[in-house]
Amino acid sequence: MEDFWIEAIELTQSVIDGLLFGSTYALIGIGFTLIFGAMHKLNMTYAAASIAGAYVGLVVFVFFSAHPLLVFAVSSLASGLIGLLVYLICFRFIPVNNHLAALMATVGALFFIDEVIIHITNASPLAFPALFGAASFDLGAVWIRGDLLFVFAASVASTAALLYVLYRTRLGLATRAVSQQNVAAQLCGIDVHRTNATTFVVAGLLGGIAGAMTAASVGVLSPLLTLPITVKGLIVTVVGGLGSIPGAIIAGLMVGAAENVFLYLRGVNERDIYVLLLLFVFLVFRPNGIFGKSINRD
Amino acid sequence: MFYPKNLAGLLPAAACVVMLLLPGLSQAQERTVKIAGWGAKSGPLRSFGVNSEAVLKAAVESINAAGGVSLGDGTRAMMEMEYYDSACNADQAISVARKVASQTEALIGIGPTCSGAAAAMYGIFQKNVDNSGDTGLQFPILTDTAIRPGLAKKSQWTFRNVPNEINMYDELFAWLRENHPDVKTIYGGTETNQAHSKLTFAKVIVQMATKHGFEWVGGGIDGLTGKIGSGSDQVLETTKASNWLMEDTNFSVQARAFKKSRADMLIVSSHPFTTCGMLKEMKRQRVRPKVLVGLTSSSSQETLLGCAAEAEGMYIPTGFAPVTSVAKRVAKAATANGGFADLHSAAAWENAWIIKQVVEETGIMAKPSTLAADRRKMRDGLEALDNVDGLLGSVGRVRDEGESIKPFVFVQATGGQWVVVHDPRN
Amino acid sequence: MEFYFGLAQIIGIHVILGLSAYVLMLTGQLSLAQAGFFAIGAYSAGILTVLFQFHIVPALIIASLVAGLFAFLIGFPALRVRGLMLVVATIAFSEVVRLFFFNLSWRKTIDGIEAGPDSTNGFREIRFFAANGWEPYQVTLFVWLFVALVMFLIWWSDRARSGAVLRAVGEDELAAHSVGINITAVKVAAMTAGGMIAGIGGALYAHTATYVDHLTFTILLGTFAIAYPILGGLRSVFGTLLAVVLIQGVLVEGLRALGDWRNILFGVIIILTMNLKPGGLFDTQTVQALRKGLAFRDKGAPNA
Repeated sequence: MEDFWIEAIELTQSVIDGLLFGSTYALIGIGFTLIFGAMHKLNMTYAAASIAGAYVGLVVFVFFSAHPLLVFAVSSLASGLIGLLVYLICFRFIPVNNHLAALMATVGALFFIDEVIIHITNASPLAFPALFGAASFDLGAVWIRGDLLFVFAASVASTAALLYVLYRTRLGLATRAVSQQNVAAQLCGIDVHRTNATTFVVAGLLGGIAGAMTAASVGVLSPLLTLPITVKGLIVTVVGGLGSIPGAIIAGLMVGAAENVFLYLRGVNERDIYVLLLLFVFLVFRPNGIFGKSINRD
Repeated sequence: MFYPKNLAGLLPAAACVVMLLLPGLSQAQERTVKIAGWGAKSGPLRSFGVNSEAVLKAAVESINAAGGVSLGDGTRAMMEMEYYDSACNADQAISVARKVASQTEALIGIGPTCSGAAAAMYGIFQKNVDNSGDTGLQFPILTDTAIRPGLAKKSQWTFRNVPNEINMYDELFAWLRENHPDVKTIYGGTETNQAHSKLTFAKVIVQMATKHGFEWVGGGIDGLTGKIGSGSDQVLETTKASNWLMEDTNFSVQARAFKKSRADMLIVSSHPFTTCGMLKEMKRQRVRPKVLVGLTSSSSQETLLGCAAEAEGMYIPTGFAPVTSVAKRVAKAATANGGFADLHSAAAWENAWIIKQVVEETGIMAKPSTLAADRRKMRDGLEALDNVDGLLGSVGRVRDEGESIKPFVFVQATGGQWVVVHDPRN
Repeated sequence: MEFYFGLAQIIGIHVILGLSAYVLMLTGQLSLAQAGFFAIGAYSAGILTVLFQFHIVPALIIASLVAGLFAFLIGFPALRVRGLMLVVATIAFSEVVRLFFFNLSWRKTIDGIEAGPDSTNGFREIRFFAANGWEPYQVTLFVWLFVALVMFLIWWSDRARSGAVLRAVGEDELAAHSVGINITAVKVAAMTAGGMIAGIGGALYAHTATYVDHLTFTILLGTFAIAYPILGGLRSVFGTLLAVVLIQGVLVEGLRALGDWRNILFGVIIILTMNLKPGGLFDTQTVQALRKGLAFRDKGAPNA
């Protein structure tokens, strides 16, 4: 009986840790889904741009010993700027109906950003400051990491802000209009390029926070992070339903928790197989995700 | 008139001197000992290539500054090195090996830096010399950084100068036994998709710890003895070690298992990125072992850049530390060339000097016409070596395997530095 | 010379990899599963020649069939979804395959040496070519025999009805469906063909590299597989060939002296190409320009 309780507590702790770490996946997923919702295109550069933003934040920290909060702000701004650049070089001048060319261009930008980071840092892992890194909450048998709780709160806050912008402002109206009926929106006098560019900047701002949060919660920043985060972000986007922001959050937390539970129960060598099979099940039985509307375009 | 006659007499003499000098001059220009290096200068393991190139460059400069290499006919030649980027990619490592062997006059290659690329590249070489039925490449290789156990015996043309981890951990645990008599139990984990980290952990570290009387927590592991490789499958079972992958970011479950084990000694067998991730999570969960032991590859500058504070107190055996005057010089020269001398890259220095020694001992001519013969002499010369001078002392060679037994020291992370705590050479 | 033969082998194998993605892309589907099929081909062929002492030719054929079978099996569920969903589904498949080989350990003693896949430690000793006295030029000819075969089959079927069917599905599924084309059958057939082609590529790769481990078959390889046809253009198989020659021949090998800068350049080149020639390098414009140029030379005067 005692064994059972120890197991139960261990499992609960694994789920809590996973859920909280999943909030970084959720933030990345939101960015993917936002861009996908606006343009119905995939931006493969997104996670790399988020990590690049965190690197810019780190520069401020190393050379000006800035407060972690400022580091996060700079990361976010830098990533927003990179988002704008990515829109300009990978989407703006490529024909709207050519999905492959835009996708490939973002893959090119992904390689470019990754390799520039590698070139500058010699790919060495670098220490990244944590916000509330020392804080933790003991709830009797289980405990909660303070910094991850902050990440969780930040992702909820960013989502709230995002939903406000989307549904309560003119910009949001324009974004939704462009996303739903591109041509009609143009006829109504909405500048499509400007709206899309704004979406990229907003997604980038969010991505920068996600990049910095991820780096802070690992404690180390490395170009090794970009590929796994890209894949996790894509999985979260699909499980959550394309274009659905609440879906991305729930999916992010779910993937984080599932990862930790499988890790705890089956070990690291099999962990990812189960997570991917779970994704497969979702794709087959619920291809539109948790909250996704039935989207038949690609 | 005295003067012109004297001058006329001088002229033929001068011509003679010039004629004697000219071939010498032109020979010195033509005859250089060319070597080629390659490794990862792009991709996430770029530091390997950058460090290796920096050290190799410094070594070649020092050899040339000391007068170069003396060839088979007594001519002194300079050494010349070309370095190529082959990423951490099997295709590219193979391609560079072929290029260097068939398009250049390099006598020997030093590379590639990555074990996976080396494992593939060694396969395209002729397995046994003088086997005409084997069309593999006939070109000598002396690899520096790639450390995964047991690679070089794949071909008789391939050699390595990398630390022998069996000796290192054998001695380390013997020393820890002596200096930490209160430590009894061990626990640990590794990054299972990184072959070097995993093999060293499951086949060497745990066994060597057992050999010196440390016991895996909870009553040991089935089949685990002090013999290399014993019980290695059991060690990696989920119910035993707690492992992660080399690009993992969340270590909460593993750190909890470390904490729950209550072992006196914890082992983190991984490369700097996940070593840092794991150590940071251990600190958050307030895991405080009496002794912390790391993988030899983490005794590098990268670990200090990533997590100097969390690594504090960690013991690692390493094949390089600036403890001798020449080692100090190498460390300085590498930094000047834009890299770091560490346990991996420092071997590149020794390799360049080993090559000089073999050229001089086997009478290599370094002429275009003797290229094939020179390469063969180089291979045979490397095979024949019993020991060579290394940065920390004499480096033993293992015949038929093409491997090294290098001297080493134990370092501990102290105040953001790797400090030598014990020197088994004394 | 040996170096150029080696380079030709690498280019040939990457052409096969790119063409395996090309087939499915004609139907308008983007698959990142090619790395998975490539891995299945590589490991199957390696296991056959090393552990069962097969000759390379039957090993290669079986490997291709095994990879094709897996493509067929996952084609049904995977092709229920498309666009981004398919991209993610195929990433998931190819990662599961990679993780399977990451866990696979199958060792046997052959000629006194233990050989076979050894999980993280990789699969060494796939030395069929060198051990059987094949000269590098023979290996290169062997590789290019398959490149030519695959290129010819795709080029030829593109001119026949089957190519029209594939492209019809790619252009407009609804219209294709309304003229009686069975969309699912066409897509699964294209997936299977792509799997078989990737299987051949993997089998050849394992034997030219002599060693494979799971890290060879990451998403990056799958990304390269789709990058070649996109950069080259979907108009013709020669586009893929051109793209592989440019990337593997010129950029990776020719510009090796640039060191790590060429990787940065790689990203820039992709972005520029996609902006200037969104339809790929070998698009209709290029073909027309080439035709004009050739005609000019043939007749000695511009076409009237």
